Amino acid sequence: MSGDKIRLNTEWLCDCGGCHVALVDLHEKILGVLESVEILKCPVLTDEKLYPEADIGILTGSIRTEHDRHAAEEMRKKCKTIIAFGTCAVYGGLHGAGLAHSREEIMDCVYRQSPTTKTDFLPDSEITGLEKLVTPVDEVIDVDLYLPGCPPHAQFIFEGLSALIENRQPRARQETVCAACRRTMKKTEVTEIKASHEGMPDDDTCFLSQGYICLGSVTLDRCLAPCPNHGVMCSGCAGPTMQILTEPTHDIRTEISERMSRLTKIDAQTIKTHIEKSAKTHYAYAMATKMIGNKPTFLINKWIAEVEAQ
Amino acid sequence: MLEMTIHEKACRGCQLCLDVCPTKCFTFNEETGKAVVAEVGNCIACLSCSYICPSGAISHANHHEVQNFYRNIHFSQRMEKFL
Repeated sequence: MSGDKIRLNTEWLCDCGGCHVALVDLHEKILGVLESVEILKCPVLTDEKLYPEADIGILTGSIRTEHDRHAAEEMRKKCKTIIAFGTCAVYGGLHGAGLAHSREEIMDCVYRQSPTTKTDFLPDSEITGLEKLVTPVDEVIDVDLYLPGCPPHAQFIFEGLSALIENRQPRARQETVCAACRRTMKKTEVTEIKASHEGMPDDDTCFLSQGYICLGSVTLDRCLAPCPNHGVMCSGCAGPTMQILTEPTHDIRTEISERMSRLTKIDAQTIKTHIEKSAKTHYAYAMATKMIGNKPTFLINKWIAEVEAQ
Repeated sequence: MLEMTIHEKACRGCQLCLDVCPTKCFTFNEETGKAVVAEVGNCIACLSCSYICPSGAISHANHHEVQNFYRNIHFSQRMEKFL
């Protein structure tokens, strides 16, 4: 391969592997990327155990085990630019909801109590230890660029990588999932919040207008809205909008309740309380980051205790 | 001069901007089902519309940005690095 090519390392930490698959979702565009990039380390492509010197390092997943921490630190030492790629790397991801439980509870649930597990002992060799908390990558090493998304849509990956290769500013709007959704938001007479399995939602009307909790309006669009456009409410997998992250008093539940109460006849406080009761689900993707976890309005332990007390 | 634009493709037609605007800058186009900036001269740059817009479709330019005394520092330091 030519020595002029940009050298790329990728490494996965605690994640599902979907972000690496998303790189392949570039389809034929990947050929264009490969013309200017040389892949030195990539867990799904190369058998490179060490960390070669590289220009760009893509890190997917969060820090959950001692190995994750070591891998992130090695990548930082060897790569000039580190991209936190995907929601897990940026915000901690779905397993960030593990923060609501102790390490002992998690180990016990997975290895001792799981109905599909026959063994009854905790593993003590071959795997590295579980850390106390789920940690986003930027709390362990310095990160140069962030690309949230679960996984980010190929359009944003391509734009991000090409901008980096061509040394220019990426063209990406900071709009929400609603901006890419085809449904129409209208004011309705709906008086009750519905669970996702209740009734049959209309295909052309916004979920919020119909009484379903959809996180589209509080989620950054790095996906082009496939879920709401195919009849599924947004679960917020790309993480919160810039607005929620910047403003300490804006929050997922405060913004949803404000918009939904204006679109329907449901009281804002009722919506807020409803979301608090299932906060571990609604905040799952981003609760591990201090950007959400340290918000004065984010009272996850109180909300969980209230539900458990019932 | 202050500019205000609505990214038409992103507008979902909820009319929340019409509801919250204290100076009635917007009208609603029934044909397209989208909000339109009618009187930008009235805009006092309170940014209420921008905050309520579910899509984040409303943007302002050339407006005076008020010094915000209470921001999430952890994120603000990182904001420019976000794609």
